[in-house]
Amino acid sequence: MRLRGHAAGKAFFMLGKCFSVITILSFIYAAFTNNIGALSGAILDGAEKAVALSYSLLGVMCLWGGIMSLMTAAGMIRRLSRALRPALRLAFPYAFSSGVGADEITACVSANMLGVGNAATPLAISAMKKLQSGGEDAFDDMVTLAVLGASPPNIFPSTLIALRRAAGCADPYAVIIPIWIVSASCAVLAVTICRIVPRLFRRRV
Amino acid sequence: MSAVPEYVLPSILFIAALAALRSDASAFDAFLDGAGEGLRTTAKLLPSLCALIVATSMMFASGLADALAELLSGAFAALGLPSAITPLLITRPISGSASTAAYTELISHSGPDSFVSFLASVIMGSSDTVVYVVSVYFSSVGIKRTRHAMPAAFAVMIFCILFSAFICRIFYKV
Repeated sequence: MRLRGHAAGKAFFMLGKCFSVITILSFIYAAFTNNIGALSGAILDGAEKAVALSYSLLGVMCLWGGIMSLMTAAGMIRRLSRALRPALRLAFPYAFSSGVGADEITACVSANMLGVGNAATPLAISAMKKLQSGGEDAFDDMVTLAVLGASPPNIFPSTLIALRRAAGCADPYAVIIPIWIVSASCAVLAVTICRIVPRLFRRRV
Repeated sequence: MSAVPEYVLPSILFIAALAALRSDASAFDAFLDGAGEGLRTTAKLLPSLCALIVATSMMFASGLADALAELLSGAFAALGLPSAITPLLITRPISGSASTAAYTELISHSGPDSFVSFLASVIMGSSDTVVYVVSVYFSSVGIKRTRHAMPAAFAVMIFCILFSAFICRIFYKV
């Protein structure tokens, strides 16, 4: 994850907290239920599973990263962005009417849709920088971008399919259509909420 | 209907190959660059994945995961959710590594083709790390007052979970 400074620090702080809370609670629970014996095995198994998991993901991450980079170089992402523009105009009225940050927003949403969150984050940050005009308050479009970024429509969940295959699913692809339906609905809901809420609570900005 | 998902990945490759052929020779170089980046991302993910998978496998081995699920089973049953999904729901908003760890433990714990695993897959694929995304997006530009961002993102996440449960009941075949 290409993050620097404050943002990265905050994210890793949360990760560390997650690790500590889960580990401590598990230890205490195991101690109380007289089940500590099961933990040593689970700890070593966990470390081994992390390597096995990364190993099984290496191929897909490599292929997917390559395909996305190729698509970008060949102008496919630009095409997707152009196709998305009319829909995004409704979601980000201020950015699109002024033109400031509109390109970054479309690039970010396209990257999110293709499941390349790592590429989407730097794009989102540059979009945020364009949208910001000083101060510590978020504008409507910035909020919309963040909420949509937290619930992007997903075209092909490459990592998830790889995980399902690695786990030995009979039909790893069975979840794709449900994911299309749910993630698209969530994205529509995200935009709808973000467009309605500021009207309910007249602007404070 | 079942043929559609099988077409997605081959079609993406087909489009990519076609696009590479139509554009100049540098498209394949771009592929190599991106593939290398993908490798590095996975390698960089391993340390945090290691910590979180160790933690979640302790959570499952100690019986805490089952106890938590038991605790919340009443509330979840009322919402139509299987309680085994609890560890995933707790970790999903916070971190990608933690939820990946919870997800893999969950599908090995309750079988890859069970309803819980199917539902977990749909939730994993349709939601994102709400807290992480919102805080990274805003803190990168020094925004402190994020207004309705967090509540809206969580509302969407809750809808995502409930709607997934509804959709999975339609699509899940034994």
